[in-house]
Amino acid sequence: MRETAAIELEHVTIRRDGRLVVDDATLAIAAGQIHVVIGPNGAGKSTLLSAVLGQTPFAGEIRMNLVGSGLIGYVPQSFVADRTLPITIGEFLALSRQKWPVCLGVRPHARTRIATILDRVGLAKPMERRRLGELSGGELRRVLIGNAIDPAPEILLCDEPATGLDPKAVEDLDRLLCSLRDDHKTTILMVSHDRAQVRRIADRVTLLHGVVKQTGTAKQVLARAADVVDDEDLS
Amino acid sequence: MSWLYEWWIELAKLLGLPESFQYPFVARGVVAILMLAPLLGGLSHLVVARRLAFFSTTLGQAALTGLVIGVALGQPLDDTYTAILGFCLLVGVIMVYVRRQTTLPPDTVIGVFMAFTLGLGICLLVAATRRFNIHQIEAVMFGSVLTITDRDLVLVMVLGSLLGVGVALGYNLLLSDSLSPAIAKARGAPTTAIDYLFVVVVTIAITVSLKVIGALLVEAMVVVPAAAARNFARSTRGYLVWSIVLAAVSGLGGLFISTIWRVPSGGAIVLALSVCFFISLPVGRWLR
Repeated sequence: MRETAAIELEHVTIRRDGRLVVDDATLAIAAGQIHVVIGPNGAGKSTLLSAVLGQTPFAGEIRMNLVGSGLIGYVPQSFVADRTLPITIGEFLALSRQKWPVCLGVRPHARTRIATILDRVGLAKPMERRRLGELSGGELRRVLIGNAIDPAPEILLCDEPATGLDPKAVEDLDRLLCSLRDDHKTTILMVSHDRAQVRRIADRVTLLHGVVKQTGTAKQVLARAADVVDDEDLS
Repeated sequence: MSWLYEWWIELAKLLGLPESFQYPFVARGVVAILMLAPLLGGLSHLVVARRLAFFSTTLGQAALTGLVIGVALGQPLDDTYTAILGFCLLVGVIMVYVRRQTTLPPDTVIGVFMAFTLGLGICLLVAATRRFNIHQIEAVMFGSVLTITDRDLVLVMVLGSLLGVGVALGYNLLLSDSLSPAIAKARGAPTTAIDYLFVVVVTIAITVSLKVIGALLVEAMVVVPAAAARNFARSTRGYLVWSIVLAAVSGLGGLFISTIWRVPSGGAIVLALSVCFFISLPVGRWLR
């Protein structure tokens, strides 16, 4: 039986400042699977994800076939918020979990959910009082992951979510992503440079290098990746 | 509005303030400051969070140009709200549009608009002064509590309340978009609409504040309170409260300075705000 595609890209071409970044990419991301896009630096992986999110103009067509909650989670590669902005982790997470203005306080129901989120990403509850700007790269990444996975989204877009995480945290992240796929049927489209992580969790892998070079299982694509691009470039 | 003035006059007597603080125009100024502080101070923390400080400066400059256009179109000097609002909205919306379309850094785009509005304002001002004395528009350029009317205060109260409710309703989306438009968009926030609507809100707030603070100085009121508050605040709630408190304290302080030394209220308020900011630097460091 043909798998249902949650995200479909047809002849997507992206230019930045006149430079061709992605050329004529056609891709189907099957619903309820973890699909990882790999490729060397500058291959257009993050740009493609940004186009899926509607943040980058493109030619061609991108369709999201949302049939459930319609929620989309996003873990950005970098978070360039002003580090001196006085906002606590609790307030940041409450922004999309309560209607009451966060500047007037975090509501009890949001507080409960925030505690659960922090627990899921391996951060202690007192962390909610810390300022976003005080966090280390790894802690901030965990907060961003927590923000994207609660409530379980129908589609999760992750741009190198393991960056800055220690090996134990990467394992936790893998478990978290697999449980989203298995328990909530979340479709995950992820950009990664971590070959080991790709082998562990990817259902499908696409090798992108300006154009879509190949899509297949992790084993197939990683073998081809070594021929197509410099191994060092990828990992 | 008379009950508000009477309230202040009674309070001034109770506090033993000099007789000059009980004058009706000072009472009107105090009421205006107490209305503007939550509006401008409250907005200031969002203006700074969205990195629109320079943008607000440009809107202040555009207000001067709008004033001159209004006068040139035959509007009375003390009633040029529509021309100022119209021109500022036009400049603000075009500025956001251009900023979103170009790959140039936002401050470069804003700098171009600032130069344009200032250049246009100066040319029109010179042309307009052939018809009236330039000193007549000092009140709008630098602010003067002497020119505030009951109608101005009602306008501040009504529009300020509407803007306050509007911003409170969309606050979480607004802050979320300020932190990361990409995350906000993924969550379904209308990021483009937020960008334009916030500019409209700031423009209206600036326009209704012109009589008190002045066109050339009003941007200070939407930037400096938040800049000073950032040195004290540890959370968004603290950031909002400190911004409003500092705007109110500086506003009242500036008004009193202006009453005692007979200087324009706008300049005195901005000076008081600046003093607050410079005090906040060492105090904020000490508190941490």
